[in-house]
Amino acid sequence: MHISFLIHNAYGIGGTIRTTYNLAGTLAEQHDVEIVSVFRHREEPVFATPGKVRLRHLVDLRKDGPGYEGDHPEARRPATVFPATEGRYKQYSALTDRRIAEHLRSLDCDVVVGTRPGLNVHIAQQARRGPVRVGQEHLTLSTHSAPLKLTLRTHYPRLDAVTTVTEADAQTYRKLMRLPGVRVEAVPNSVPAPLVAPADGTGKWVVAAGRLAPAKRYDVLIRAFAKVVAERPDWRLRIYGAGVEKAKLRKLIDDLGLYNHVLLMGPANPLDPEWVKGSIGAVTSSLESFGMTIVEAMRCGLPVVSTDCPHGPGEIIDNGADGLLVPVGKTDAIAAGLLKLINDDELRKRMGRQALENAARFDPAQIAGRYERLFGELATRGTLRGSLHRTRGALLSSALRTTDAGRSALRRVRAA
Amino acid sequence: MTDARFPSHPITPEESPIVSAPPRADCIADSAGGLTFDLDVPEGGREPQALVLLRRGGDDQADEVRLPLTPNGDGRLRAVLPSTVAMAEGRWDVHLDRGEEGGPQRLLPGLADLRSLVDRRPGPSTSPLAVRIPYATKHGNLSVRSWLRAPHAEAGDLTLSAEGITGRGTLHRVENPQEWLTDAVVEARSRRSAAVVRTAPVTAEGQEFTFTLAYAGLCADWKGGPEVWDLWLCRADGSAEARLARILDDVADKKQIFVYPGLPVSAPYAPAEVGPYYTADNDLAVRVDERPPVS
Repeated sequence: MHISFLIHNAYGIGGTIRTTYNLAGTLAEQHDVEIVSVFRHREEPVFATPGKVRLRHLVDLRKDGPGYEGDHPEARRPATVFPATEGRYKQYSALTDRRIAEHLRSLDCDVVVGTRPGLNVHIAQQARRGPVRVGQEHLTLSTHSAPLKLTLRTHYPRLDAVTTVTEADAQTYRKLMRLPGVRVEAVPNSVPAPLVAPADGTGKWVVAAGRLAPAKRYDVLIRAFAKVVAERPDWRLRIYGAGVEKAKLRKLIDDLGLYNHVLLMGPANPLDPEWVKGSIGAVTSSLESFGMTIVEAMRCGLPVVSTDCPHGPGEIIDNGADGLLVPVGKTDAIAAGLLKLINDDELRKRMGRQALENAARFDPAQIAGRYERLFGELATRGTLRGSLHRTRGALLSSALRTTDAGRSALRRVRAA
Repeated sequence: MTDARFPSHPITPEESPIVSAPPRADCIADSAGGLTFDLDVPEGGREPQALVLLRRGGDDQADEVRLPLTPNGDGRLRAVLPSTVAMAEGRWDVHLDRGEEGGPQRLLPGLADLRSLVDRRPGPSTSPLAVRIPYATKHGNLSVRSWLRAPHAEAGDLTLSAEGITGRGTLHRVENPQEWLTDAVVEARSRRSAAVVRTAPVTAEGQEFTFTLAYAGLCADWKGGPEVWDLWLCRADGSAEARLARILDDVADKKQIFVYPGLPVSAPYAPAEVGPYYTADNDLAVRVDERPPVS
């Protein structure tokens, strides 16, 4: 198959970029794969482009480069195809509208994959007939604004498939969207095997990693860890990452007198060598679209104590077998979970081994295999069925556009 | 995550291959303090001859360490830096010598597996304690931070109370730690003047010791502005001393990670704030300074 990914900016840093590279790189071992980046703001991508994957861009934003298009007249006019309800709308323009349209009309591939809502809308509207149209959801439907949800309801019926990273989100899509004939399938993010040997479970460190952002609730983790220290002062906590919460967390650590036990380590990349310094992973988020760090820690042989927040953790951790799920925001329960693994060396090591084994299902080869089957099945559904479905989708779309306009809330719409 | 400390792989976009990208060296530390460097055989150019470590600011023969490169059996090249190779304290920049004009080429950091350095407990010995921690410099190059201490006083937990700072530590590399620590003291030496010293008695058990440094003494002569006190562990008879430092782990630069709050102290001169911190060399110091206005 010839597979073409459409991404916002493949030259930057971020979960979607990393995941797309992992997937594209693995698919490229068997297929012809290209990544088309709407923007290019720097000479080289931050992450290494996998060997056989071709990478190109549609709009050049390299500041000092000869091809800089940031001051193109069309770049100053607002986008009309890229939806205004999308978070990245301000970065898009009449120029991106035109370039993306030209690209999608001239697609020479079997499958085109969009990697964010606005680009999925472009694909739904503008991809030429023929290629299978897949829209990926890397976040979750429930965290999108109501206007964006309406936009997606209007356009997604023209896609062949929508993929989510959790089954929970796939169910939300099926429930809230009217997507007849559109395959909605959960395919988790992939995490490659670490390049270092797994942890041996002897280090008296709990490790957490991620942006120091409010949704990660590191304040809850630190408060819970105060209870851990009261019982087991020989154990410590390392938190890797940078972010807006740093000063607040620093103050909390000082106020609780935990400066000997809780360390804010700053950012680290890659994280694998840091995970293996610990014996337990900790996630206390109130919300996780997927839960990439849980899988990363497990692939390093760490059992993870995680809050059972929407959407990913419960689908990643087999509670009691390869990690522990604890209630969101409850410091006592989080501390109890950590202490359970701290106080039982055998249990901790056994769960660590199980985590290592169970997390192998997120290997890029496994995940790419699931995409490969999905793409293959969609491609063989035949062009006749595909075009019929799209005609129907188009009719439904315009019908829904009018009905949706009169409704105040999406949840009132009955599921298909 | 931004500001990558150890970026995993060379960046080689297919559109614009970098012809002479500096090679990356992976590094594994062993618990004895030795380091093993592994790197890919660089394409093109001349055969690499050696890994060369040059001490920053040094121009002596002793400021250069050459490590032979040999096949590691996995198609890569390996250089080994055992803890027994003498290296002065400081920052050592890691280079690759390919016998080319222009001299050795600086190496970039690859994967660093430093787990065996975490909570390191060196064995009993009287030879100097060698600590080497590889790290990425702020320009993204590979360097090794080196310490060489005999004896060594490793700083542990610090407890801040209303009266003073209580520190725990461990004495390494002396014949008989218990005897060495009998009637030993911790000296705080002001950077203002070598003659200005405050002392705190030490309680010892085996090689472990504790001390409490009172704020009152540190603040007695303070007249505003920052004043820094460096902490030393000193034998009763003055025959030996060791700088209090925290070096027995994987964290090359403690200053931003082992952070302690400053506590308000009513100094005779003016309200002050006192708190411990680690210097750029991971030595323990105490800072007395003006109290920031309450916002």
